[in-house]
Amino acid sequence: MKSKKTKRQPLPSFKGGADVLKTESPGRTVNPHWGLLFFFLMAWLWGAWWMGDVFCIAREWSFVAADATLMHWLWQQSFGLVWIIGRAVLTLYRWPLVGGLVLALLLTAASWLVGYCLRLRPTSRWHWLQYLPAAAWMTWVSWKGLNLYYLNEPGEATGVLVLGVLVCAIDAFIIWTFKSRQNRSAEAAPVVSWFRFAIGLTLLAVCFLLPVSITQWRHPYLRPLTRMQVQMLQEDWNGMAATAQAHGHLSYRPLAAYYAIALVHNGHLTDQLFDIRLDYDSLYVHSWDEGQDNGTNYYLIDCNYHAGLFRPAAHKAMEALTMNGPSVYVLKHLIRLALLDYDWDLARKYLFILGKTPFEGDFIRRYGAMLDNADAVEADPVFAALRKTEPVADSFEGMYQEPAFLGYTCVLTAGRSQEALMQSLMACLYSKRMPDFLMRCEPLVGSVPPRTIAEGLTTQAGKNPEVLKVFPQLQMNVQYYRGFLQTVKPYMNDRARAGIELFDQYRGYYPYYYFFGNLKATRKKADTVKASSNAGVN
Amino acid sequence: MKRFLYRLALAAVALCVAACKGLPTSVPATFSELTDTAEIYPDYRDITIPPNIAPLNFMVYDAGAKAFVVEWTFVDKAGRKGASEDHATPATLVCGAADDGKIEMDTTAWRNLLTSARGKALRVCVYAERPNGWVRFAPFSVQVAEEEIDAYLSYRLIEPGYELYRQIGLYQRNVTNFDEAVIYENNRSFDNDNNHCVNCHNYQAYGTDRMLFHVRASHGGTIVTHGSEAHKIAIRHDSILGAGVYPSWHPTLPLVAFSTNKTGQVFHMLHPEKIEVLDEASDLLLYDAEANTVSNVIRTTDALETFPCWTPDGRRLYYCSADMPALPGEYSPEQLAIRYDSLLYNLYSMSFDPATRTFGEPRLEVDAASQHKSVSVPRVSPDGRYVLFTLGDYGQFHIWHKSADLWVKEVHGDGELSAEAVTAGLPESGAVQVATTDNRTASPADTGTNSAALPSPQFPQCRPLAEANAVNQPDSYHSWSSNGRWIAFASRRDDGSFSRAYISYFDRSGRAHRAFLLPQRDPEYNLLLLKSFNVPEMTRTPVQVSREQFEHVVLHTEAEVAKYK
Repeated sequence: MKSKKTKRQPLPSFKGGADVLKTESPGRTVNPHWGLLFFFLMAWLWGAWWMGDVFCIAREWSFVAADATLMHWLWQQSFGLVWIIGRAVLTLYRWPLVGGLVLALLLTAASWLVGYCLRLRPTSRWHWLQYLPAAAWMTWVSWKGLNLYYLNEPGEATGVLVLGVLVCAIDAFIIWTFKSRQNRSAEAAPVVSWFRFAIGLTLLAVCFLLPVSITQWRHPYLRPLTRMQVQMLQEDWNGMAATAQAHGHLSYRPLAAYYAIALVHNGHLTDQLFDIRLDYDSLYVHSWDEGQDNGTNYYLIDCNYHAGLFRPAAHKAMEALTMNGPSVYVLKHLIRLALLDYDWDLARKYLFILGKTPFEGDFIRRYGAMLDNADAVEADPVFAALRKTEPVADSFEGMYQEPAFLGYTCVLTAGRSQEALMQSLMACLYSKRMPDFLMRCEPLVGSVPPRTIAEGLTTQAGKNPEVLKVFPQLQMNVQYYRGFLQTVKPYMNDRARAGIELFDQYRGYYPYYYFFGNLKATRKKADTVKASSNAGVN
Repeated sequence: MKRFLYRLALAAVALCVAACKGLPTSVPATFSELTDTAEIYPDYRDITIPPNIAPLNFMVYDAGAKAFVVEWTFVDKAGRKGASEDHATPATLVCGAADDGKIEMDTTAWRNLLTSARGKALRVCVYAERPNGWVRFAPFSVQVAEEEIDAYLSYRLIEPGYELYRQIGLYQRNVTNFDEAVIYENNRSFDNDNNHCVNCHNYQAYGTDRMLFHVRASHGGTIVTHGSEAHKIAIRHDSILGAGVYPSWHPTLPLVAFSTNKTGQVFHMLHPEKIEVLDEASDLLLYDAEANTVSNVIRTTDALETFPCWTPDGRRLYYCSADMPALPGEYSPEQLAIRYDSLLYNLYSMSFDPATRTFGEPRLEVDAASQHKSVSVPRVSPDGRYVLFTLGDYGQFHIWHKSADLWVKEVHGDGELSAEAVTAGLPESGAVQVATTDNRTASPADTGTNSAALPSPQFPQCRPLAEANAVNQPDSYHSWSSNGRWIAFASRRDDGSFSRAYISYFDRSGRAHRAFLLPQRDPEYNLLLLKSFNVPEMTRTPVQVSREQFEHVVLHTEAEVAKYK
C-alpha cells in the first residue's frame, strides 16, 4: 500500500495559558530574558556570598583527582560518575567567587533549558515556572545543611545539578534537532510589559528567600560555623573568635569546638571561653543510616589536633578516611600529623596524593618544605604552639572519657608547659569537674589566676575555705559571686529557661555557666575509665 | 554542524598524536655515563624474581629529564651480553617513558625476555634525556630464578588499623600478569543492616578446592568451600571460647585448626607503635568440614594459644602460646592493656594422629619469652624443612610492631636439626647468587635489615631472613609458594603505615633474597592506594567459587551451626 506523502508540519508548541489570546500593550515593554540575568546575579550572590563558605568547606570535605586508583572507591558506587563530576564542580570553590559563578551559570542554564524543553514561551505568564527546579535545588541544598557534605556524599548536590543540566540539554538538543529550520529562525525577540516583568522578578526574589530562610532558621549555625572553618584555614584565630562571639547566642557543639580552638591560639582561652552559650541545641543532622547525629565527629579531628593530642587526631582522621574515603580536609590533617611524628615517608605519600587534586599547591609547598627537616617542623608557629600541649608520657586513649581532647585534658597529670596546665584547668571548668580543677590549681598558688580560673575558684570558696587562704585576692570576687547567687536564686528551679534569659546579663561569667550552662555536662557522671575497644580489629 | 564535528574529530586526533609522541623506543646512540644508579620506585634493584612474574613496571625519578629509556638485557655468568638459546627470542627489551618516568612494559615482550633469561641475570640500564643530552645511570641487575612462583596471590584490601571498616574485599591477583579478580566484596555503600567485614581467607595445600573466610557483623559466619560449592557455617557453643579466628587447613583431611580469640585493641597516645592488638583469651579448636563438628584442642585460662599451622604431612600442628602476665590487681582488659608489652609468645608444636584425630603433648619449639621476644604466625615450608615465623619484641599482632622481622627455624623430620643448618647461609651450587650493583654479595648492611642472617645464639636452629627484612619496619603475615621457593608477606616498609605485598626468593640453602614489591601495571599504584594488603596467600589455581555465588551465600543463606564434639 502506497503511503500518502504529507508535507512536514512544524511541531505544535505549548503556548501556556491565556497569553495566546492577549497581545502586549504598546506601553513600556522589556525583553523577559532579562529575568535570566537577574536570576543569574541572584544565584551568584547566593552561591558565592550566602553559601560561599559552606561550599568552600564542602570542597574541603571532598576529594577528586584524575586518577583511577584514587577514585576507584567512588567510581564503582552507584552514580559514582555523577558524584565525581559534582566533586569536580566543588573544587572551584577554592575561590568562592569562581565557584559561585559556575554554580550560578549551571542554575541559569538549567532554568533556561527547562523553559525551552517545556515550551514555556518567554511571553507566557507561566514562563517563570522555568526557575522552579533551580529554586527547588537551592531549597534542597539549604535543607540539607551540614549534611550537604558531613555524613553524606559531598558531590551529591552539585552532581545532581550537573546531571539535571545535562539531561535538559540533551532534551533541548533533541527538540532543536526536530524543529524545522523555519521555526528556528522565525522566533522574534519577545517582549512583556514592565509590570508583568516586575511581578515576575518579585516572584523570583521570593524563590531565593525560601532557601535563605531555611539556612537561617533551620541551620542558623551553618554559615558562622563554615566561616570559622574558612578562617581557620587562613589561621585567622582572632577572626574565628570574633565570628563565634558575634553569634554567641547560638548554642551548638561545633561552634563551641571551633571557638575553643580559636582561643587556644589567640591566647584568650582563660578569659573568653564562656562568652558564648554552651547548651547545645539539635543540629538537625542525620548519620549515614539516617539516624540522628550530634555532629561530634565533625570536629573531633580538629579538636584533638589543636589540643596537642596528635595520636587521637590521627586515629579519628584514619577513621574518617575509612568511612568517607579521602578528603582534602582529612589528607591535610594526616600530612600535618605525619610531619609532627617525623614520619617522613608517610607525609610524603599523603602529600603526593593531595597533589593529585587541583588547587592545593600552596599547602603542598608549605608542608612539603618540611619533609626530612625536623627543624622546619618545630619552627612552624602553629606546630610549635601545639607541641606545648602534647602528652608527656604514653598511655592509651581508651583510658579516658571520650572525647579525648576533654577526657584526657581533664585528668592529665603531667604537662610540658603552662599552656597545658591552663587547657587542663579550662577543660575541668567546662566539664564542671571541680575537685579535679582544684587539685590542678596548686601550681597557681602565689600568682594571680586568670579571670575565668579565678571565677572558678570563687565558686568553690564557699565549700572549701582553704581556697581563700591560698588565693586571698579572690575576696572581691566572692562578694560579687554572693550578689550573683542572690540574683539568680529565683531562677534555680528552671535552669534551662533561665540559662537563656540570664545569658546577656552574665555572659562570660563562669558561675553563670556553672549553674545554668551546659546542663547536660552537669548531669553526666564522671566516668574516667573506658573499656578497651572490642570493635573490629583491622 | 558537520564542520564542527569535523573540527572536533581533528582536535581529538591531534590530541592522541600529542599524547603518543615523545616515547623513545630505542637506546640513545650517544650518552654520557653516570656513576650512580637511577632512583626508581618500586626499588627493583638487585632482586631475584620468578621467571613467570608480571612486568616489573617502575618509575624513574630524575627532575628535569624529558624522557627515559630502559634497556633490559640478560647476561651470562661472565657478564657478557647473552642471547637466547634458540636465538628466536630477543635478548633485549627496550622501553621508553615520557617525563613522568613511568616505565610500563609490554607483557608479551617481557614474558619472552624472562623465558630466555630463566636462571640468568638481567642487566638493567636506565637512560634519561636531560636538557644537555642523554645520560646513562650505572646499571643494576635483576636475577631470574629457575623456579616459578604460584600464579595466584590473594589478599584483603582494607584501610590500615583502627576499628572501623567500610569498603573491603578479598581479591585474587594473577601475579604472572596484572589481572585482579574479586573473590568477595562487602557492601559498597553504608547500610546498617548489611555492613559486614571479611577476613582470614585460607586455602588447603596451596589449592582452591577447599578454602574459607570469615564474615563478621551482619551476615556473620564462616564461608567454607568444597570445589565450586560454598556454604556458611557458624562456630559457637558454650564449651568453646568463641568463633574460629586464625585458620589452618589440614593438608589432606577436611579439617581446619582454628584459634578462637577474644581480641581487643588499644590506641597509644604517644608511643611510636600507634596500636596494640591484644588477646584477652584464646584457645585452639579443630573443625571437621565434612561432619560440621567442632571440638577444643586446647582450652586454658592461664595461657593464650593462637596461630595454628599444620606441617605438610599433617602429622604435627605448630602454634604460638603466651602465659597470661601477672596483673597487679584483679583481671580486667584495662589491666591487661597496661601490661601489653609483657605478653610474650613462644612457638610450640603438637603431634597429630590422623587416624584417631588426637593430639600429643605440646613441645616447645622456640623459647622466645626467655629472651624477651615474641613469636607469631608460624608457617611450615612445603618440604617441611623450615618453620617461617615473625619475631618481635612482644605481643602477637606484629604487623603493627616495628621490631617485627621474618625468621626461620630449620627443622628436619620430626623437628630435629638438619645437616644443612650447620652450613646455613652458604649458597648451594646452582642456587642463584645475590649480586649487588658493584658485584658484591649482599650483606645485611646492603639489604638494610634489622639483624644478621646468621643462626642466632639466643634461638637455636633459628635465624632471621636478613636479606628480606626491612629496617625498623614491620614484616609479617607471610605465606609460602607451593614449591617452597617463594615467600609472600606483608610489610609496612614503604611508609610505615600501609602494608604492601612483598615477595622474596627463598633459595635451596634456606636463604631469603632481597624482597620486591608485587608489580603493578601502574607503578604509581602503591603510592596512591589508601588501603593495606592484608594476609597475602599464594595458590596454584584461582578460586573456584564465583563472586556472585559468594554473595548469595553470605547475604542470603543462614549459617549452619557446627555441632560440638
